[in-house]
This record gives sequence, C-alpha cells and structure tokens, in this order.
Amino acid sequence: MEDNILDVRNLNISFSNYGKTSKVLRGVSINVSRGERVSLIGQSGSGKTVTMRAIIGTLPTPPAIIESGEILYENQNLLALSRLERNKIKGSGISIILQDPLLSFNPVLTILRQMEDIVKYSDVRIGISRGHEERKKLITETLRKVQLSDHERLLNSYPIMLSGGMRQRVLIGMSLLNNPKLLIADEPGTALDVTTQKEILDLLNSLVKDEGLSLLFITHNLGVVREMADRIYVMQNGEIVETNSRENIFKKPEHQYTIKLMESVPPLFGDKVTDVKNTNSEVDGIISVSNLSKSFPIRTGFFNRITSQNHAVKSVNLVINSGDIYGLAGESGSGKTTIAKILLGLYGATSGTIKIDKLNLDEQVELKSYRKLIQIVYQNPGSSLNRKRTVAQILSVPLKFSGYSNEMIKDRVSELLQMVDLPVSYSAMYPHELSGGQKQRVAIARALSLEPKILVLDEPTSALDVLIQGTVINLLHRLKKQLGLTYIFISHDLSLMRNFCNKIAIMFKGEICEAGNTKDIFSNPQHLYTKALISSIPVISDKEENLKPKVTYEERSAVLQNTRKI
Amino acid sequence: MVTYILKRIVTLFLVFLGLAILIFVIARIVPGDPARIALGPLASAQQVEEMRQEMGLNDPFFIQLWNYLTGLAQGDLGKSLLTSRPVIDDILGALPATFELVLFTIFLQITLSIPLGVLAAVYRDSWVDNLTRIISLIGVVTPGFVLAIILQLLASYQFSFFPVTGRIDPGLNFDADITRLILIDSLIKGRSDVFVDAFSHIFLPSIALAAAGIGQVMRITRSAMIEVSRFDFIEASRAYGIPERIVTFAYMLRIASVAPLTILGLEFASLIGNAFVVEFVFSWPGIASYGVRTILQKDLNAVIGVVLVSGVFFVFANLFIDILLGIIDPRHRLREGGSK
Repeated sequence: MEDNILDVRNLNISFSNYGKTSKVLRGVSINVSRGERVSLIGQSGSGKTVTMRAIIGTLPTPPAIIESGEILYENQNLLALSRLERNKIKGSGISIILQDPLLSFNPVLTILRQMEDIVKYSDVRIGISRGHEERKKLITETLRKVQLSDHERLLNSYPIMLSGGMRQRVLIGMSLLNNPKLLIADEPGTALDVTTQKEILDLLNSLVKDEGLSLLFITHNLGVVREMADRIYVMQNGEIVETNSRENIFKKPEHQYTIKLMESVPPLFGDKVTDVKNTNSEVDGIISVSNLSKSFPIRTGFFNRITSQNHAVKSVNLVINSGDIYGLAGESGSGKTTIAKILLGLYGATSGTIKIDKLNLDEQVELKSYRKLIQIVYQNPGSSLNRKRTVAQILSVPLKFSGYSNEMIKDRVSELLQMVDLPVSYSAMYPHELSGGQKQRVAIARALSLEPKILVLDEPTSALDVLIQGTVINLLHRLKKQLGLTYIFISHDLSLMRNFCNKIAIMFKGEICEAGNTKDIFSNPQHLYTKALISSIPVISDKEENLKPKVTYEERSAVLQNTRKI
Repeated sequence: MVTYILKRIVTLFLVFLGLAILIFVIARIVPGDPARIALGPLASAQQVEEMRQEMGLNDPFFIQLWNYLTGLAQGDLGKSLLTSRPVIDDILGALPATFELVLFTIFLQITLSIPLGVLAAVYRDSWVDNLTRIISLIGVVTPGFVLAIILQLLASYQFSFFPVTGRIDPGLNFDADITRLILIDSLIKGRSDVFVDAFSHIFLPSIALAAAGIGQVMRITRSAMIEVSRFDFIEASRAYGIPERIVTFAYMLRIASVAPLTILGLEFASLIGNAFVVEFVFSWPGIASYGVRTILQKDLNAVIGVVLVSGVFFVFANLFIDILLGIIDPRHRLREGGSK
C-alpha cells in the first residue's frame, strides 16, 4: 500500500547468548497507515518490545541478529540506511513514549535540560540553529499541548519532584518535540493508577487526532486496546497470530490464543461476573479494627525536626469475618498496604484498636503463635523470594523457627508443594529457574507453611500475565476452601476484585470511603470517588462500558484534584 | 544546597572532635610513661616526677583533656620530644610533600581509572574489557610497598629518567613558597625544568600508591556504567536521537560516577596509610618519616598530631566528595530535606 507510513515486512530476529541462538521474532509483518492507530498486543516475552526496538533502532546488535526482513518507513528501508541517515529519523520521524514514567527520565537533570537536549541535538542533525530562548518557547508550547501548565516551576523540577501523571505527560511532550509523524507507545500509563491512566489515554487519543499522527500502541491490556486502536495485531511467541480491525477482534476473535486472552480478562459487569459468597455464615469478626490511624513524621531542615505528619491511614474501621475474602481497593498511596503492615505487626499503629481472633494485637504480636495466625504473600515473587536459596530452603525457614525437626520439615515441604500444584522435584530448584506464576506459588506455599488462619494477599497477581493470573486465582480459591482460610486481598485491579472478593472496602487518601458487599458496591456505588474509579477501568465490551457509573468530567476532576502533587 | 553543606560541615566538626578525644584517650592508655621515655633510662625518679609535673601528667584526666582540647583549638599540639620543637611546626614542614604526593595520586586515579572503566563498559566482554580486568587485578593484589620496590628496581636499571629517591634534585635552586607544592609553583613561576624534574620524582611513588585504587575504581566505574545503561531513559535518549557521546559521557557517566567517587573518598584513608610505607621506600620527605620515627620513639604529642592531621585530610576529602555528589545527583540533597 502506498499510504503506509510504517511497513514491517517479514522480520526475523534472533538472539545469541553464550553461543546459544534463539529465535525471538518469526516473520513479523506489521503496517500502519497514515493517521491510523494500531495496537500490538501480547504477553511479556512475546516479542513486542523487540519489535519496537527494531523499529526505533535501539536493538543492541549483538546479541540480537536481524536475520531477514525489511522495516519501511515512508518507503525507505530503515535497516539499509546508514547510521547517520537513520539517526535523522529518530525523534523527528518516529518517536517513542516509554512505559515507566520514572525510569524513563534522567534522574539528575532538570526537565528543561532534558527536553532542551532533545531539541538541540535534533537541530544539529538537521542542520538548523536555534537559540536557548527559541527552544524554550517550543518546549513551553509542547507542554501546553499535553495540558501542563505552571511551566517555569515544572521546567526547573527534577523528575522525582513530579507526580506519576505529570511525568507521563512530560514524556508524551518529549516525544512530540520534534514533530514526529509516527508515535510508538510502549504501554504508557500501565504503571499509573487507573484514574490517571484514563486521563493519559484520553490525552493521547486527542493528540493523535489533532496532530494527525499515526500511533503504534504496544500493550498487554485488552481493555486499553479497545480505547486506543483502529486495528489490532496479536502476538504470541514472536509470531503475529491474528490481525483484524478492533470491532472484529472483540466481536469474533479467531485464533485460540486471542480467545484465551479475552476470556482471561475478569469481567466488570454482565452475566459472566462471578459473585463470591462467604459460605461461613458465622459473624465472628476474626479481625476487627476500630479507629485505626497511622501517621509518619516528615523531618526537614537543619536539625531534622518533625515539621509535619503524613497521615497514611485515618480512623479506619473494619470488620472481617472468618471465611471472607475482603478486598482493600485503592490507588497507590491510599493506605492499603500500610493497613496490611499494621495487621502483620510490622508497623505500630498511631492510635486505634485492633482485635485479631478475639485478642488485642499488642498482646499477641510478640508471640510465636501470632505468626501462625496471620501471614502475607507479597506482590513480586521475584524479590520476595531469596534468590540464593532453593525452594526447599525457602519453605523450611518458617518451619525451622517454629521448632519442626528436619524429618518433619522434609515432609511438610513436599506437602506444601503438592498443595500449590508444584511437583515435589521443584524443591531443589532456585527461584530463577521458575516462571513468575510458579514463583508466586512458592510464595503462597511459604505463607501457608505454618497453617495460618488469615492470609494477607498484597497484589499477588499484579506482577503476572493475565493468563497466569487466572490460574493463581483459582489456586487461591481452592486453598481457601480446603484450609478454611480468610483472605485480605489488597489490589488496585477492581475488575479482578469484583470476581474474587465477597466484600470490598474502597480506600481514598487513607480513609475508607465506601465498604460493603462487592456486588452492591459495583452495582450501586455511592461515593463519587468510587464512581470515578469504576468508570476509569478499561473494559472489553460496549455492554460493560454502558453499565459503568456515569461521572461527568467536572465531578471527576473535583474529586481527583486533591490527590495530585504540585 | 546551603542546608546540605551546613549539615555536612557540622557532622565533620563532630567527627573531628570525636577523633581528637579518641586519640587522646588511646595515647593515655598506651603503656610506658612519656616522661620516662623523654628523659631516658638514666634519669632519676626525682627528675621523672618533675618532668611529669611539667608535662601536666599529674593533673586529673579531664583537666588534661581540657587543656589538650583548648590547645588544639589554638593550633597548639604541644612539643615534640624527639625534635624539641612544637609539633605543629614539624608537621607543617613535612605536610606539603605528602599533600602533593596524595593529590597527584588521586589525580592519577581519577584520570586513569574512570576513563578505563568507561571504556571497559562500552566495549563490554571484548579484549579491551579483558585487558582492563587484568590491569585492575594486578593493581588490587599487589601491595603498595612491593610495587614501590619493583618500580624502584626497574627505575635504577632500566629507566634512568625516573629518580628513585627524594622530591626534587637538590641541585636545582627552587623555592616553592606560593602553594608549597613544587609541581604547581613551578608552573606558576614558569620553571619548566623544575616541573619536569619534580614530575619525574613524584611519578613512581604515585603509581605505587595509586595502583590499588585504580584497579578498584575502574571495576566499580565499569559496573556502575553497565547498570545505568540498562535504565529506560538511556534507551529513550537514543531513540530521541541524542548522540552516543552525549549519552555516554553527559548522561551515563554523570550518574555512574556516584559510586566511584564515594569509593575514592573512602580510599583516602588507606591512601594516607599506604603513603607512610611508600614515602619510606622512596625517601620522600613527607610526614611519613616523621610519623614512623615518632611512633617508634613513643613521642605521643607528635603521634597525636600526625593522626589528627591525617584525620583532617580524610574528613575534608569526604566533605568535598559529599558536596560533589550533591551537585552531581540532586536526589542526594533533596533527600536531605534541604532547599534546592
């Protein structure tokens, strides 16, 4: 087609490491026409990022080897260009927006310096000269495009001084500085809270439209794709397995893998939603929290005096019964993890009383028996498991401390592995030999080793791919039934919580703004923040979209305004 | 930034005070009566007692400490038993030579190790990397005095350009009276012959002294560079078309230099310790020969003086590094809660 701005033809790339060669891209063909929004979707390791790097020219060769194929940008083959010619296209022809808004910045330079460098060196390449003032004017104009104001202060800030949403806006601004024609976005906004993510996606959409850009959007999130793409490519193991227009993909996905991806997205509304009930009808209040507050002192100045308090948790009341799966939902900084840490006795509370299993927390927190009552599974098994220890060693640590003999430990370890559906032979493996899902199973097994009654799950699935997420959730359901557990489930993923928790509390700035049965909260949210939150969740069908609570733009910004930094 | 520096200076003062008290206490615990040592084995008990009275050794401990600290505040370190001159004068006489040696060593360390480390990181796993790896290994495992002796042997038989002892050819008529550092003063006064001579004298002892640090700092620079190269923003900068040299030197090296600079600051302590040995081997007229002699003679006032001066060196070097880190990485000072 003549009108293709980008045309990747039959791209084959392999990586060679320590003499081993593995193929990562197999005959990938992707095209983007002018003004079109195209999405590339796939799980981690499917080859999306390699494709992106090959297009923008940051693929390290070696270890990567481009075996065959062409990447045509405006009908010239990028792979055949000289380094100098290729560099001319960078930023001014094709530009990128990276994923993590903090890591994508140089931490030691001000925003102004970073943006100015981009303009400066592009000018050098093209051969025009502009002064500092002219460059600054361009930067200010671009920042206006991404709806940022208060320029002077912003420009003189360092990246850590800005909020996540602002950083993502500045990143988009950076990519626009040299008037690119094609934008490649690598999961922008996924590291942000849903409410912020929605704003960013809306902004990106309007920019593409107003500036007449083309967009190649790389993501693993189907809900986001629905809002961001005209056409979709589905990628699996380095191959494009399906491509179609957005409507067709969502209406009748053809490839097995696409169908599986669709099914793994937890539904937010409709008949597919699972309502979880607590089969234990007893109202025993195994955990009861009243008036819990926690504040952290902020120290500043010459003598490190306490100048103010950061109120992380403000008079929270909770009652959790045996057999509940109690969801604590909220965005980052809302205080949900602080509550979990207080329950585990890792932080002391500033005020308030907590009763767990009919005893005050302070009375039992020092006792060994308390560790047999409540345990935690962390978000990222990659860092919560000691990578220098085998699975068996990891699992035996808590056992040793509670006086198991070596014989008993061995039996218990194999029992635990069977419990989480891992073969006993895995006990000799190290964490890096396991997949993400398997690692999380080991982490769950470790938490269960002392037979606790309560398990705190701190975003146990958010580091995992959707397909694996489902299997871990099923495992958690089974274990709960088998062992009669009570869960406290901390997450920001509301669609997942809709299908997993029987009760939910929505946290907003350290307070619980709404709590109750999950079903009721979702069908009839009362607090404006809950409404804004639910309406920001990307969903995968129009039907669900229509069932979301309606929040006007003004209402939304009124309630969210207070959460922003600077 | 101002709060940041003020905080650093206050800490520095406290460290120095602690050091002064500690070394004083140690000097009082060391066995042997200073008065007896000063007078020699032939003195009578009467004479020793009088000497004790004169040196203030019979005063209560805290009075002694107070007198010592107030003296210190006025720059009075007492008298050396060995030379019978004020310790402060002895030290100030020997200090410039040592200072010059240490400064030149650090200069060598920075100019050799950081570029080599960057090179090793950029050409990772190539022959360049392997070569620097060997160099740094040799540097780290060879003790300074062994290297000093080897260099001296080589210089005596192979490279006669490098003299093996002293700081300057005594035949040259030169008075370093501006900064008291010969290398710098000769440049100021435009005496190139003196500069070349001083350079040839200082080169070997500096290499012997710098070797271990060069090896360490090189490896640390390499791994820090590699770590920084994995950050997303490096990829972003390349994708925006920022030239490779800017990415490597202005972006990556700036962030990566935090680790090697911190190490250089700490290295300073061992540098002063090693300087004692190396100065001795090369007959460098610095503080070392003075230090060694006073230690052997249990000349406590002088020992305290030498230790304190080394401590001041160390503390100031680290203040300098801290300020540098604050400039390089804004997160250092932002975290301290100071203003921008």
